Amino acid sequence: MKCALVTGGSRGIGRAICYKMAEMGYYVLVNYKSNAAEADKTLVQIIENGGGGELLKFDVADKTDIKKVLEGWIEANTGKYIEVLVNNAGIKDDMLMMWMKDEQWENVIKTSLDGFFYVTRMVLSDMLVRKYGRIVNVVSLSGLKGLPGQVNYSAAKAGVIGATKALAQEVGRRGITVNAVAPGFIKTDMTEGLDEKELGSMIPVKRFGTPEEVAHAVGFLASSEATYITGEILSVNGGLYS
Amino acid sequence: MQREEIIEKINGYLADEFEIDPDKMRPEANLRETLDLDSLDYIDLVVVIESNFQIKVKPEDFTNIVTFENFYDYVIYNGKEELV
Repeated sequence: MKCALVTGGSRGIGRAICYKMAEMGYYVLVNYKSNAAEADKTLVQIIENGGGGELLKFDVADKTDIKKVLEGWIEANTGKYIEVLVNNAGIKDDMLMMWMKDEQWENVIKTSLDGFFYVTRMVLSDMLVRKYGRIVNVVSLSGLKGLPGQVNYSAAKAGVIGATKALAQEVGRRGITVNAVAPGFIKTDMTEGLDEKELGSMIPVKRFGTPEEVAHAVGFLASSEATYITGEILSVNGGLYS
Repeated sequence: MQREEIIEKINGYLADEFEIDPDKMRPEANLRETLDLDSLDYIDLVVVIESNFQIKVKPEDFTNIVTFENFYDYVIYNGKEELV
């Protein structure tokens, strides 16, 4: 059975990506860290829509947890394999750098950059053997352009962008594509409190995007048709930065 | 399984993966040159070993593998195929 693993799949963009993967026929592994109720809502909706999946609780910032849960799942489910990996989990903890605490830097880097590394390395072996795989990393406008107050987040996402390009070159010969989607301002918990009217005036499309619009881009890069696109960073930002 | 049988299996996998004439795979031949391996090709070689012989390959394992003979010894010594 072909599976898609979506990290940080309980809410927001991750949830929309889970729905998209289910719509594409994948058995969806909905990863979440702590919000079981929201993760469950995602899974229930997938099943109500006629799809299949299960919850996979682990913290992408904790390599021991990843090894225990994800490796355990892979070993216990030999008939299923992860064909699509969407590294979506991320946190932000904004602060001007002069006041940024060690843990604000470390936690954001650990979740986005370390999370990408440890999760991807674990699912890569199977993809290499099967000579097929789709890895899509959800990065950010912040990682492309850099945003003030987000030195940690910009650095983490820029790191994932570099890793996307490097890994794409390592594994392209074995039918595995590695791409990233860089959302701009998207209506989620992360952008709650931001003034859409004021910020929207700077966006050519004049509004924030929706999680579904990001999921659509992820779905395209995760599709079997997107065979000749790899190492690419696809912006989904309404024209704000290109 | 006899050593020769294991070697035949290894050569078969390598011939498939690297599209190379099995006659060129002589024990004394240089593995890297014969298979025309660049650094990224090692991914393919590792996949051949890991998926067919259940060996977890470490990068440093390749330090002492120069010839096909070295490679056969490595797979036979570390693999799960039993010699008889």
